Amino acid sequence: MSFEEVDQGGYVVLAPEGKFNLVAAPPVKARIDDLVAQGKANIVVDLHAIDFIDSSGLGALIGGLKAARQQGGDLRIAAAGPQVKAVLKLTNLDRILAPYETVEEARHDW
Amino acid sequence: MTGDESAGDNDYTLEGFAVPDELDSVHQLLAQVAAEHPELDPMDVMLFETAVIEIANNVVEYGRPEGAVRWKFTIRVRAEQIEAELDDTGQTFVPETGKTMPGEEAEGGRGLPLAEALLDQIEFSRLGETNHWRLVRRLGQIPQS
Repeated sequence: MSFEEVDQGGYVVLAPEGKFNLVAAPPVKARIDDLVAQGKANIVVDLHAIDFIDSSGLGALIGGLKAARQQGGDLRIAAAGPQVKAVLKLTNLDRILAPYETVEEARHDW
Repeated sequence: MTGDESAGDNDYTLEGFAVPDELDSVHQLLAQVAAEHPELDPMDVMLFETAVIEIANNVVEYGRPEGAVRWKFTIRVRAEQIEAELDDTGQTFVPETGKTMPGEEAEGGRGLPLAEALLDQIEFSRLGETNHWRLVRRLGQIPQS
């Protein structure tokens, strides 16, 4: 899994690509933990280039969300595709991880 | 490793080791099914694929001896449903089906409940030295959101 990362000052955008699965989830979670440890706890995960997520990917997002909130920040997701949205809904995670349509909407108050 | 159709006109099969890097082959097999069955609603295939991958993840994560478990997938497209059979050589176990979806804060435990939510039938049996899963999703039942 490769992912782009852009530090915008008040927040960081992480953009993983491909399948957010058993293989990809640990490195993404590790990177989120690194950012939070550096005090960069406002994170947008831009999912536009993710065509598939499984429960491992969801676990990484929830873990990242909890880590960010513990440091007074937040983790938000943007540009989720239909499979990601369906899985969020079925797992009842679409409230805690509300999918924003764009990165701009996700970071609106940062 | 690529899928082939040797088992029947509408059968797609894949054999290999149940290791993380092989999960891509499972995705490729489902992509081949979708490409050769344009009549299938892409959302049906996508949701079925999600369920199949969740069960495959379980075999990768919990199958022992780790790295030495072999698996075989067979996917069949029928007029009214899409089915997968998964056989693996891992140790015997009893899957904990019927559990409710974990709460929002849980970081794990969603795989099997998610697969169950996506499927109309999920059956598990131990046949000799092999674990056998049968996964069925009926077509055209996508709720409008």
